[in-house]
Amino acid sequence: MRTTRLLSLSAAGALALTACSGGGESVDTGDGGGGAGGGGGDVLAVAVGAQPDQFDPHVTSAYPSFQVLENVYDTLVVPNPDDLTMEPSLATDWETSEDGLTWTFTLRENVTFHDGSEFDAADVVYSYNRIMDEQLQNAYRFENVESVEAVDPQTVEITVSQPTPNLPALLGGFKGTAIIPEGAAEEYDLTTEAVGTGPFTLESSSASSTELAAYEDYWGGAPSVGGVEFRYIAEPAAALTALENGEVQWTDNVPPQQIESLQGDQDVELQSIPSVDYWYMSMNFDREPFGNPLVRQAIATAVDREAVTEAARFGAAQANQTAIPEGNFFASDYAPFDADTEAARQLLQEAGVQTPITMGLMVTDEFPETVTAAQVIAAQLEPIGIDVDVQTVDFATWLDRQAQGDFDTFMLGWLGNLDPFDYYHSQHITDGVNNYQGYSNAEVDRLLLAASSETDPDTRRDLYHDAIEMIVDDVSYLYLYNPNVVQAWAPGLTGYTIRPDRAINFEDVELP
Amino acid sequence: MVRRVGQSLVVLAGVSVVVFGLVHLVPGDPVRLALGTRFSQESYDALRERSGLDQPLIEQFFGWLGRALQGDLGVSFRSGETVTSQIAERLPATLTLAFASILVALLIAIPLGTISALRPRSLVDRVATVISQFGISVPDFWMGIVLILVFAGTLGWLPSGGYVPLTEDPGAWLQRLLMPALVTGVVSGSVITRFVRSSMLEALGSDHVRTAQAKGLPTRQVFTWHVLRNALLPLVTVTGVQLAYLLSGVVVVEIVFSWPGLGQLALQAVQARDYPVLQGAILLFAVVFLVINLIVDLLYTAIDPRIRR
Repeated sequence: MRTTRLLSLSAAGALALTACSGGGESVDTGDGGGGAGGGGGDVLAVAVGAQPDQFDPHVTSAYPSFQVLENVYDTLVVPNPDDLTMEPSLATDWETSEDGLTWTFTLRENVTFHDGSEFDAADVVYSYNRIMDEQLQNAYRFENVESVEAVDPQTVEITVSQPTPNLPALLGGFKGTAIIPEGAAEEYDLTTEAVGTGPFTLESSSASSTELAAYEDYWGGAPSVGGVEFRYIAEPAAALTALENGEVQWTDNVPPQQIESLQGDQDVELQSIPSVDYWYMSMNFDREPFGNPLVRQAIATAVDREAVTEAARFGAAQANQTAIPEGNFFASDYAPFDADTEAARQLLQEAGVQTPITMGLMVTDEFPETVTAAQVIAAQLEPIGIDVDVQTVDFATWLDRQAQGDFDTFMLGWLGNLDPFDYYHSQHITDGVNNYQGYSNAEVDRLLLAASSETDPDTRRDLYHDAIEMIVDDVSYLYLYNPNVVQAWAPGLTGYTIRPDRAINFEDVELP
Repeated sequence: MVRRVGQSLVVLAGVSVVVFGLVHLVPGDPVRLALGTRFSQESYDALRERSGLDQPLIEQFFGWLGRALQGDLGVSFRSGETVTSQIAERLPATLTLAFASILVALLIAIPLGTISALRPRSLVDRVATVISQFGISVPDFWMGIVLILVFAGTLGWLPSGGYVPLTEDPGAWLQRLLMPALVTGVVSGSVITRFVRSSMLEALGSDHVRTAQAKGLPTRQVFTWHVLRNALLPLVTVTGVQLAYLLSGVVVVEIVFSWPGLGQLALQAVQARDYPVLQGAILLFAVVFLVINLIVDLLYTAIDPRIRR
């Protein structure tokens, strides 16, 4: 103990000084429900799981940031809360040229940014060019875009290199393509400040909460609450307690094992609806024996999706074999695999595989449900002679190993999909940027390419359905389930709509 | 004293190399993590260049060291804020919790340890042993959640978590401090109780105490002058170690109680592979350990003149 007597008293003094200077900057959680507020109403306090990393919509990829930004920024178009088709937002209407290569958007009039400046076509051109020129987070959404031009202050023309029927979904899917004022990136520090056209303005943010105030001049009319306070409560039990004792009025951090018991609870309003997300398992085509389609089919047959879903999500999910959830226009009801251990064993035998074999299954503790699901899958594969080695790593390592192809199999989800293109294209086309498993099927490539530029919805759906059946039969992905969006709020809170894309919007909320 | 300063600077230089090396050895690419799952190669290259990660490691190190010597710990990859401002924002919360926890720990440990030592193997001693064993072995997140469910949920006496500065609202400050301080205090206190008991026992059994008793000195005088003074030495050490541990962030307790301290910051930095923040935080933890060690040494000298040299 006494061998490490180190450092001078002056260093101790310096530390104390740092501490004092830090003390001046207050970390504010507010108290009860009051606090910041621009308008007439009270402040809505909500509990979210984590702190936003930053507020630049074009740079961040973090969901906690988008929970806040959803209420601060607008996009040209926005998904309708019910069926997620695109409806007007900053653009009032849009049309496509005959050849499908030119999109003309008519912009809303009398819209002002939070700094008071007027919104017009130049802001759209600036925002999109910023994303493309600086290769920011969402640049991939503009892959087909050749140019963005202002025809007049109220009209924007977007030229694409090939027909892109999902352009509205790409431009309006979420706030990563938000419109910021022309020159905003030079004028403001967008990582900590926000200048949107949305219903709330960003007031302040600290290590324990983010505060928004109602924007009185919002084009859609001022919100009914005076503001929103996002408190970060990582522990679901604590978030639920905060909701039950009235510290907050809304949370999406609900302990999954309590979903069922909460449904009968008088003190909490709980809703659980299917989301646009899906969870899947993927096998490495370059590693034997997983390159053999019979082996993949054997595994797909041995997995009991219902049991996996029940264990991982406590029932708050729908088992699925094709990614797109039931009810969507593009959904397919193709489901060739029945959970059957005996049939699976036979397929494995047909493949000529000497059992037992060992299979690594890489999951990440960033998404604990994958760890649970992996354990269930391990138990299901054991009887057919596959010894599953569940490898739980943190997300950064997981992403690295996925990119390097250093896995037998892995499990993850795709979140926030809107168009079938999001669900299938980059994951299954040969050399697709997200085709980490190494799948290649010339017919699937042809179908996916044709579907990506097909403008007739019915034809497009048929093309996707043909591709989907081959993807499922080849087990490019082993689809597991579509999880539910689960959120809870105080009884009597009105004007809030739970959405399948997990966007949370407090514009119309009225407190009990 | 001058030699000690020299030694500490050498150690600190070593620590900075190790910190930088270790942080960069951790697998996981911060650029890939920042971009999420869907991105283009162009975006990847652009961000890598912007964060300076395309530079050779040795250049990155000397760049970082040079700036760190001037008090500039860099800018967070994740938030774009300076590392110093992020650490400064969280220091008050960490200091508050650490000192409150030590207070709770000592309030538990000194009486409990003393009573146990005065009546070894008595019922009181056994109960105290069981209690401290419980405090050491119960997971702190479990204790935290139970407290939240009871005091915030069922009874509704306290808020479920969060932090309010003392200067802003002393009542709200204390309300939010109670539960996390209790959890960390019980854990630290349990450890310290053991030390108090054993060092007290040792002091009671030492020759000079027996001599003093034989000389017929009053018990109270023997206790304060001979037993307590000797027993205090290990107590200072173990309290110092516990304090350093608390100041380095009690990650689990901070997460459970939504306490915006350094532990939470360091955890987020690890998860995001936010190298600048991680390096800054670890360097600060190293300095905290060094400083507390020095203070412990100084206290030693004050209590026990034999160590003075």
